Amino acid sequence: MRLHPFRLLEPESMKDAIDALGGLDGEARLVAGGTALVAMIRLGLVKPDRLVSLHRVPALNRIAVEAGSLVLGAMATHADIERSRVVRDGWPLLAEAAHRVATPAIRASGTIGGNLAYAEAASDPAPALLCLDAEVRVAGPGRERVVPLARFFRGFYEAALEPGEIVTAVRIPPAPAGARGGYVKYTSRSAEDKPLVGVAALVALDAVGRCSEARIAIGGAAPTPIRAAGAERALRGEALTDAAVRAAAEATAGEVDPLSDLMGSASYRREMVRVWVRRLLITLRDGTK
Amino acid sequence: MMLAFTLNGRPCATEAPDHWTVLDLLRDGLGLMGTKYGCGEGVCGTCTVLADGRPIRACLVLAAHVRDRVLVTVEGLERDGRLDPLQIAFAERGAAQCGYCTPGIMLAAKALLLENPAPTEHEVREALSGNLCRCTGYTKIVEAVLAVGGRR
Repeated sequence: MRLHPFRLLEPESMKDAIDALGGLDGEARLVAGGTALVAMIRLGLVKPDRLVSLHRVPALNRIAVEAGSLVLGAMATHADIERSRVVRDGWPLLAEAAHRVATPAIRASGTIGGNLAYAEAASDPAPALLCLDAEVRVAGPGRERVVPLARFFRGFYEAALEPGEIVTAVRIPPAPAGARGGYVKYTSRSAEDKPLVGVAALVALDAVGRCSEARIAIGGAAPTPIRAAGAERALRGEALTDAAVRAAAEATAGEVDPLSDLMGSASYRREMVRVWVRRLLITLRDGTK
Repeated sequence: MMLAFTLNGRPCATEAPDHWTVLDLLRDGLGLMGTKYGCGEGVCGTCTVLADGRPIRACLVLAAHVRDRVLVTVEGLERDGRLDPLQIAFAERGAAQCGYCTPGIMLAAKALLLENPAPTEHEVREALSGNLCRCTGYTKIVEAVLAVGGRR
Protein backbone atom coordinates (compact mmCIF):
# COMPACT_ATOMS: atom_id res chain seq x y z
CA MET A 1 0.00 0.00 0.00
CA ARG A 2 1.56 3.24 -1.20
CA LEU A 3 1.63 6.58 0.52
CA HIS A 4 -0.33 9.44 -0.98
CA PRO A 5 2.24 10.92 -3.40
CA PHE A 6 4.30 13.94 -2.40
CA ARG A 7 7.40 15.71 -3.60
CA LEU A 8 10.40 15.30 -1.32
CA LEU A 9 12.78 18.21 -0.85
CA GLU A 10 16.15 17.58 0.75
CA PRO A 11 17.75 20.91 1.61
CA GLU A 12 21.36 20.95 2.74
CA SER A 13 21.20 23.94 5.07
CA MET A 14 18.77 25.20 7.71
CA LYS A 15 18.20 28.36 5.66
CA ASP A 16 17.22 26.31 2.61
CA ALA A 17 14.98 24.14 4.79
CA ILE A 18 13.16 27.22 6.10
CA ASP A 19 12.78 28.54 2.54
CA ALA A 20 11.52 25.16 1.29
CA LEU A 21 8.96 24.96 4.09
CA GLY A 22 7.74 28.47 3.33
CA GLY A 23 6.90 27.97 -0.37
CA LEU A 24 3.37 28.84 -1.39
CA ASP A 25 2.48 25.88 -3.60
CA GLY A 26 0.30 23.58 -1.50
CA GLU A 27 0.84 22.07 1.92
CA ALA A 28 4.39 21.36 3.09
CA ARG A 29 5.38 19.24 6.08
CA LEU A 30 8.71 18.84 7.76
CA VAL A 31 9.94 15.26 8.10
CA ALA A 32 12.61 14.04 10.47
CA GLY A 33 12.49 10.32 11.39
CA GLY A 34 9.03 9.92 9.90
CA THR A 35 7.74 7.69 12.71
CA ALA A 36 4.75 9.94 13.31
CA LEU A 37 4.33 11.76 9.99
CA VAL A 38 4.57 8.75 7.67
CA ALA A 39 2.05 6.86 9.80
CA MET A 40 -0.28 9.88 9.63
CA ILE A 41 0.08 10.06 5.83
CA ARG A 42 -0.59 6.33 5.62
CA LEU A 43 -3.75 6.77 7.68
CA GLY A 44 -4.87 9.66 5.48
CA LEU A 45 -4.82 12.13 8.37
CA VAL A 46 -2.59 14.51 6.41
CA LYS A 47 -2.02 14.77 2.65
CA PRO A 48 0.98 17.06 2.18
CA ASP A 49 2.06 18.07 -1.33
CA ARG A 50 5.66 18.46 -0.24
CA LEU A 51 7.83 16.95 2.45
CA VAL A 52 10.92 18.84 3.54
CA SER A 53 13.47 16.42 4.96
CA LEU A 54 16.07 17.53 7.50
CA HIS A 55 18.37 14.54 6.91
CA ARG A 56 20.85 16.44 4.78
CA VAL A 57 21.19 19.47 7.02
CA PRO A 58 24.63 18.96 8.59
CA ALA A 59 25.28 18.26 12.28
CA LEU A 60 21.62 18.24 13.32
CA ASN A 61 22.07 14.94 15.14
CA ARG A 62 24.86 16.11 17.41
CA ILE A 63 24.88 15.44 21.14
CA ALA A 64 27.32 17.75 22.88
CA VAL A 65 28.01 19.64 26.09
CA GLU A 66 28.25 23.40 25.60
CA ALA A 67 29.13 25.58 28.59
CA GLY A 68 27.92 22.89 30.98
CA SER A 69 24.60 22.38 29.23
CA LEU A 70 23.62 19.38 27.16
CA VAL A 71 22.71 20.29 23.59
CA LEU A 72 20.79 17.78 21.50
CA GLY A 73 20.47 18.51 17.80
CA ALA A 74 16.86 18.15 16.68
CA MET A 75 17.73 15.05 14.62
CA ALA A 76 19.32 13.15 17.51
CA THR A 77 17.35 9.91 17.74
CA HIS A 78 16.01 8.37 20.93
CA ALA A 79 18.46 5.49 20.28
CA ASP A 80 21.35 7.97 20.11
CA ILE A 81 20.23 9.65 23.33
CA GLU A 82 19.67 6.47 25.37
CA ARG A 83 23.16 5.21 24.39
CA SER A 84 25.09 8.48 24.72
CA ARG A 85 27.74 8.30 27.47
CA VAL A 86 27.46 12.06 27.98
CA VAL A 87 23.70 11.84 28.52
CA ARG A 88 23.86 8.76 30.74
CA ASP A 89 26.51 10.31 32.97
CA GLY A 90 25.19 13.86 33.24
CA TRP A 91 21.45 13.59 32.53
CA PRO A 92 20.48 9.99 33.39
CA LEU A 93 16.80 10.94 33.75
CA LEU A 94 16.75 11.82 30.05
CA ALA A 95 18.54 8.61 29.04
CA GLU A 96 16.00 6.62 31.06
CA ALA A 97 13.04 8.33 29.36
CA ALA A 98 14.59 7.94 25.89
CA HIS A 99 14.94 4.22 26.56
CA ARG A 100 11.21 3.96 27.27
CA VAL A 101 10.06 5.37 23.93
CA ALA A 102 8.11 2.74 21.98
CA THR A 103 10.33 -0.02 20.55
CA PRO A 104 13.97 -0.31 19.45
CA ALA A 105 13.09 0.25 15.78
CA ILE A 106 11.06 3.36 16.52
CA ARG A 107 13.82 4.71 18.79
CA ALA A 108 16.35 4.21 15.99
CA SER A 109 14.39 6.52 13.65
CA GLY A 110 12.37 8.84 15.89
CA THR A 111 14.06 12.11 16.79
CA ILE A 112 13.89 14.37 19.82
CA GLY A 113 13.01 17.39 17.68
CA GLY A 114 10.19 15.52 15.98
CA ASN A 115 8.89 14.19 19.28
CA LEU A 116 8.64 17.69 20.78
CA ALA A 117 7.31 19.41 17.64
CA TYR A 118 4.58 16.75 17.36
CA ALA A 119 3.48 17.82 20.87
CA GLU A 120 2.26 14.36 21.77
CA ALA A 121 0.56 14.57 25.17
CA ALA A 122 1.88 11.10 26.04
CA SER A 123 5.48 11.76 25.01
CA ASP A 124 8.06 9.87 27.10
CA PRO A 125 10.95 12.35 26.80
CA ALA A 126 8.82 15.44 27.40
CA PRO A 127 8.19 14.96 31.16
CA ALA A 128 11.89 14.23 31.71
CA LEU A 129 12.87 17.33 29.75
CA LEU A 130 10.31 19.43 31.63
CA CYS A 131 11.87 18.30 34.92
CA LEU A 132 15.28 19.22 33.55
CA ASP A 133 14.15 22.76 32.60
CA ALA A 134 14.97 22.19 28.94
CA GLU A 135 14.55 24.88 26.33
CA VAL A 136 13.87 24.53 22.63
CA ARG A 137 15.82 26.35 19.95
CA VAL A 138 13.73 27.33 16.98
CA ALA A 139 14.71 28.83 13.61
CA GLY A 140 12.27 30.45 11.23
CA PRO A 141 12.05 32.99 8.43
CA GLY A 142 14.44 35.78 9.43
CA ARG A 143 14.81 34.92 13.09
CA GLU A 144 15.90 32.42 15.70
CA ARG A 145 14.45 32.15 19.18
CA VAL A 146 14.58 30.08 22.33
CA VAL A 147 11.40 28.79 23.99
CA PRO A 148 11.37 27.22 27.46
CA LEU A 149 9.86 23.75 27.03
CA ALA A 150 7.23 24.60 29.66
CA ARG A 151 5.88 27.21 27.22
CA PHE A 152 6.49 25.17 24.07
CA PHE A 153 3.43 22.94 24.38
CA ARG A 154 0.43 25.04 23.50
CA GLY A 155 -2.36 22.48 23.31
CA PHE A 156 -3.38 19.03 22.16
CA TYR A 157 -0.81 18.11 19.45
CA GLU A 158 0.00 21.80 19.15
CA ALA A 159 3.48 23.22 19.67
CA ALA A 160 4.34 26.91 19.89
CA LEU A 161 5.78 26.94 16.38
CA GLU A 162 4.83 29.63 13.89
CA PRO A 163 4.43 28.75 10.19
CA GLY A 164 7.85 28.03 8.69
CA GLU A 165 9.57 27.51 12.03
CA ILE A 166 11.80 24.50 12.67
CA VAL A 167 13.07 23.05 15.95
CA THR A 168 16.86 23.02 15.62
CA ALA A 169 18.02 21.86 19.07
CA VAL A 170 17.12 21.25 22.68
CA ARG A 171 19.30 22.71 25.44
CA ILE A 172 19.27 21.14 28.88
CA PRO A 173 21.03 22.90 31.76
CA PRO A 174 22.97 20.90 34.33
CA ALA A 175 20.75 19.17 36.87
CA PRO A 176 20.92 20.64 40.41
CA ALA A 177 23.83 19.28 42.45
CA GLY A 178 22.98 16.00 44.16
CA ALA A 179 19.65 15.68 42.38
CA ARG A 180 18.19 12.26 41.67
CA GLY A 181 15.64 11.74 39.00
CA GLY A 182 13.49 8.99 37.60
CA TYR A 183 10.89 8.30 34.95
CA VAL A 184 8.11 5.76 35.30
CA LYS A 185 5.80 4.83 32.48
CA TYR A 186 2.53 3.07 33.09
CA THR A 187 0.89 1.43 30.09
CA SER A 188 -2.52 -0.19 30.18
CA ARG A 189 -2.31 -2.36 27.06
CA SER A 190 1.24 -3.46 26.25
CA ALA A 191 4.75 -2.56 27.39
CA GLU A 192 5.77 -0.72 24.23
CA ASP A 193 2.60 1.38 24.05
CA LYS A 194 2.37 5.09 24.69
CA PRO A 195 2.09 5.77 28.41
CA LEU A 196 -1.36 5.91 29.93
CA VAL A 197 0.52 8.16 32.32
CA GLY A 198 4.21 8.93 32.44
CA VAL A 199 5.75 10.50 35.53
CA ALA A 200 9.15 12.15 35.73
CA ALA A 201 10.50 13.55 38.98
CA LEU A 202 13.71 15.09 40.16
CA VAL A 203 14.51 15.79 43.80
CA ALA A 204 17.54 17.12 45.62
CA LEU A 205 17.78 16.67 49.38
CA ASP A 206 19.74 18.91 51.75
CA ALA A 207 21.93 17.70 54.63
CA VAL A 208 18.92 17.05 56.88
CA GLY A 209 16.86 15.33 54.19
CA ARG A 210 14.62 18.22 53.16
CA CYS A 211 13.84 18.87 49.49
CA SER A 212 16.03 21.72 48.29
CA GLU A 213 14.54 21.04 44.87
CA ALA A 214 11.48 19.09 43.79
CA ARG A 215 10.21 18.83 40.25
CA ILE A 216 7.39 16.64 38.96
CA ALA A 217 6.17 16.39 35.37
CA ILE A 218 3.38 14.31 33.90
CA GLY A 219 2.72 13.00 30.40
CA GLY A 220 -0.51 11.52 29.09
CA ALA A 221 -2.82 13.07 31.65
CA ALA A 222 -3.50 16.52 30.22
CA PRO A 223 -3.73 18.01 26.70
CA THR A 224 0.04 18.53 26.90
CA PRO A 225 2.85 17.26 29.13
CA ILE A 226 2.83 19.47 32.25
CA ARG A 227 4.80 20.33 35.38
CA ALA A 228 2.88 19.88 38.63
CA ALA A 229 3.81 23.27 40.03
CA GLY A 230 1.54 23.11 43.06
CA ALA A 231 2.83 19.73 44.19
CA GLU A 232 6.41 20.95 43.70
CA ARG A 233 5.82 24.03 45.87
CA ALA A 234 4.33 21.87 48.59
CA LEU A 235 7.36 19.59 48.61
CA ARG A 236 10.13 22.22 48.64
CA GLY A 237 11.61 22.56 52.09
CA GLU A 238 9.84 19.44 53.29
CA ALA A 239 11.31 16.05 54.11
CA LEU A 240 10.03 13.22 51.90
CA THR A 241 7.97 11.61 54.65
CA ASP A 242 5.23 9.19 53.67
CA ALA A 243 2.70 11.91 54.46
CA ALA A 244 4.49 14.53 52.33
CA VAL A 245 4.78 12.08 49.44
CA ARG A 246 1.08 11.22 49.68
CA ALA A 247 0.20 14.91 49.74
CA ALA A 248 2.36 15.61 46.68
CA ALA A 249 0.76 12.70 44.79
CA GLU A 250 -2.69 13.99 45.76
CA ALA A 251 -1.80 17.52 44.67
CA THR A 252 -0.48 16.28 41.31
CA ALA A 253 -3.66 14.29 40.70
CA GLY A 254 -5.52 17.56 41.25
CA GLU A 255 -3.38 19.42 38.73
CA VAL A 256 -3.77 17.06 35.76
CA ASP A 257 -6.61 17.31 33.27
CA PRO A 258 -6.97 13.84 31.77
CA LEU A 259 -9.06 12.66 28.85
CA SER A 260 -10.85 9.35 28.44
CA ASP A 261 -9.85 7.19 25.50
CA LEU A 262 -9.32 3.54 24.54
CA MET A 263 -6.33 3.29 26.89
CA GLY A 264 -8.27 4.31 29.97
CA SER A 265 -10.82 6.65 31.45
CA ALA A 266 -10.06 10.10 32.80
CA SER A 267 -10.71 9.01 36.38
CA TYR A 268 -8.44 5.97 35.98
CA ARG A 269 -5.68 8.19 34.58
CA ARG A 270 -6.03 10.58 37.52
CA GLU A 271 -5.81 7.66 39.93
CA MET A 272 -2.74 6.29 38.15
CA VAL A 273 -1.09 9.73 38.40
CA ARG A 274 -1.63 9.58 42.15
CA VAL A 275 -0.22 6.04 42.38
CA TRP A 276 2.83 6.54 40.17
CA VAL A 277 3.86 9.92 41.61
CA ARG A 278 3.77 8.34 45.06
CA ARG A 279 5.74 5.27 44.01
CA LEU A 280 8.35 7.28 42.12
CA LEU A 281 8.95 9.73 44.98
CA ILE A 282 9.33 6.86 47.44
CA THR A 283 11.77 5.15 45.10
CA LEU A 284 13.80 8.35 44.78
CA ARG A 285 13.72 8.87 48.57
CA ASP A 286 14.79 5.35 49.41
CA GLY A 287 17.40 5.20 46.67
CA THR A 288 16.12 1.83 45.51
CA LYS A 289 16.42 2.86 41.90
CA MET B 1 15.17 10.36 -7.33
CA MET B 2 18.46 8.47 -7.47
CA LEU B 3 19.53 6.41 -4.47
CA ALA B 4 22.77 4.63 -3.68
CA PHE B 5 23.30 2.51 -0.60
CA THR B 6 24.71 -0.83 0.48
CA LEU B 7 22.23 -3.69 0.38
CA ASN B 8 23.09 -7.06 1.88
CA GLY B 9 26.80 -6.49 1.45
CA ARG B 10 26.69 -5.16 -2.11
CA PRO B 11 26.49 -1.64 -3.53
CA CYS B 12 23.06 -0.81 -4.87
CA ALA B 13 22.05 2.16 -7.05
CA THR B 14 18.44 2.60 -8.09
CA GLU B 15 15.70 5.07 -8.92
CA ALA B 16 12.71 5.51 -6.63
CA PRO B 17 9.71 7.87 -6.55
CA ASP B 18 9.88 10.53 -3.83
CA HIS B 19 7.01 9.07 -1.81
CA TRP B 20 8.32 5.52 -1.59
CA THR B 21 9.22 4.02 1.74
CA VAL B 22 12.07 1.58 2.23
CA LEU B 23 9.49 -1.21 2.09
CA ASP B 24 8.22 -0.06 -1.33
CA LEU B 25 11.82 0.14 -2.52
CA LEU B 26 12.73 -3.36 -1.33
CA ARG B 27 9.62 -5.21 -2.46
CA ASP B 28 8.50 -3.34 -5.56
CA GLY B 29 11.69 -1.64 -6.68
CA LEU B 30 14.15 -4.44 -6.01
CA GLY B 31 11.96 -7.55 -5.87
CA LEU B 32 13.09 -8.60 -2.41
CA MET B 33 9.94 -10.15 -1.00
CA GLY B 34 11.38 -11.36 2.31
CA THR B 35 10.47 -8.11 4.05
CA LYS B 36 6.74 -8.15 4.76
CA TYR B 37 4.02 -5.53 4.80
CA GLY B 38 2.01 -5.81 8.00
CA CYS B 39 0.25 -2.86 9.59
CA GLY B 40 1.94 -0.07 7.61
CA GLU B 41 2.04 2.10 10.73
CA GLY B 42 5.18 0.90 12.48
CA VAL B 43 3.36 -1.12 15.11
CA CYS B 44 3.63 -4.81 14.12
CA GLY B 45 7.35 -5.03 13.26
CA THR B 46 7.17 -7.49 10.39
CA CYS B 47 8.86 -5.02 8.00
CA THR B 48 11.88 -4.59 10.31
CA VAL B 49 15.23 -4.39 8.51
CA LEU B 50 18.65 -3.19 9.64
CA ALA B 51 20.09 0.21 8.75
CA ASP B 52 23.67 0.66 9.93
CA GLY B 53 23.11 -2.24 12.34
CA ARG B 54 20.01 -0.81 13.97
CA PRO B 55 16.46 -2.01 13.40
CA ILE B 56 14.17 0.28 11.42
CA ARG B 57 10.57 0.03 10.26
CA ALA B 58 10.76 -0.22 6.47
CA CYS B 59 7.11 0.90 6.24
CA LEU B 60 7.80 4.21 8.02
CA VAL B 61 11.25 5.19 6.80
CA LEU B 62 11.34 7.08 3.51
CA ALA B 63 13.49 5.46 0.83
CA ALA B 64 15.51 8.69 0.56
CA HIS B 65 16.55 8.33 4.18
CA VAL B 66 18.61 5.18 3.58
CA ARG B 67 20.81 6.90 1.01
CA ASP B 68 24.47 6.06 1.75
CA ARG B 69 23.50 3.71 4.58
CA VAL B 70 24.10 -0.02 5.03
CA LEU B 71 20.89 -2.06 4.78
CA VAL B 72 20.42 -5.70 5.68
CA THR B 73 17.22 -7.60 4.93
CA VAL B 74 16.37 -11.22 5.68
CA GLU B 75 17.84 -12.14 2.29
CA GLY B 76 21.19 -10.84 3.53
CA LEU B 77 21.39 -12.91 6.69
CA GLU B 78 22.72 -15.85 4.70
CA ARG B 79 26.38 -15.52 3.68
CA ASP B 80 27.90 -17.52 0.82
CA GLY B 81 25.18 -20.13 1.02
CA ARG B 82 25.57 -20.53 4.78
CA LEU B 83 22.65 -19.68 7.01
CA ASP B 84 23.11 -17.22 9.85
CA PRO B 85 23.21 -18.92 13.27
CA LEU B 86 19.88 -17.23 14.01
CA GLN B 87 18.26 -18.85 10.99
CA ILE B 88 19.62 -22.25 12.04
CA ALA B 89 18.36 -21.79 15.61
CA PHE B 90 14.89 -20.72 14.41
CA ALA B 91 14.68 -23.76 12.12
CA GLU B 92 16.00 -26.23 14.68
CA ARG B 93 13.63 -25.05 17.39
CA GLY B 94 10.56 -24.55 15.24
CA ALA B 95 10.45 -20.88 16.20
CA ALA B 96 8.03 -20.07 13.38
CA GLN B 97 4.52 -21.11 12.57
CA CYS B 98 2.90 -19.10 9.77
CA GLY B 99 6.23 -17.31 9.30
CA TYR B 100 4.93 -13.87 8.43
CA CYS B 101 6.61 -12.17 11.40
CA THR B 102 9.80 -14.24 11.16
CA PRO B 103 11.96 -12.01 8.91
CA GLY B 104 11.29 -8.96 11.07
CA ILE B 105 11.87 -10.89 14.26
CA MET B 106 15.17 -12.31 13.03
CA LEU B 107 16.43 -8.85 12.09
CA ALA B 108 15.32 -7.33 15.39
CA ALA B 109 17.19 -10.19 17.11
CA LYS B 110 20.21 -9.67 14.84
CA ALA B 111 20.33 -5.99 15.84
CA LEU B 112 20.33 -7.00 19.49
CA LEU B 113 23.09 -9.58 19.05
CA LEU B 114 25.28 -7.15 17.08
CA GLU B 115 25.20 -4.74 20.01
CA ASN B 116 24.93 -7.23 22.85
CA PRO B 117 26.27 -10.68 21.90
CA ALA B 118 25.18 -12.35 25.16
CA PRO B 119 21.80 -10.91 26.12
CA THR B 120 19.67 -12.02 29.02
CA GLU B 121 16.14 -13.32 28.43
CA HIS B 122 14.82 -9.95 29.60
CA GLU B 123 16.98 -8.16 27.07
CA VAL B 124 15.80 -10.48 24.30
CA ARG B 125 12.17 -9.88 25.19
CA GLU B 126 12.75 -6.13 25.32
CA ALA B 127 14.51 -6.15 21.94
CA LEU B 128 11.61 -8.08 20.39
CA SER B 129 8.91 -6.02 22.10
CA GLY B 130 8.06 -4.28 18.83
CA ASN B 131 7.58 -7.47 16.84
CA LEU B 132 4.20 -9.11 17.07
CA CYS B 133 3.71 -12.85 16.53
CA ARG B 134 0.13 -14.07 16.65
CA CYS B 135 1.00 -17.79 16.38
CA THR B 136 3.83 -18.91 18.61
CA GLY B 137 3.39 -17.25 21.98
CA TYR B 138 7.08 -16.20 21.63
CA THR B 139 8.54 -18.97 23.80
CA LYS B 140 10.44 -20.74 21.03
CA ILE B 141 11.45 -17.45 19.43
CA VAL B 142 13.06 -16.27 22.65
CA GLU B 143 14.69 -19.68 23.14
CA ALA B 144 16.12 -19.57 19.63
CA VAL B 145 17.68 -16.14 20.15
CA LEU B 146 19.08 -17.20 23.52
CA ALA B 147 20.50 -20.37 21.93
CA VAL B 148 22.60 -18.21 19.59
CA GLY B 149 24.08 -15.77 22.02
CA GLY B 150 22.28 -15.79 25.27
CA ARG B 151 23.07 -16.72 28.80
CA ARG B 152 20.48 -18.32 31.00
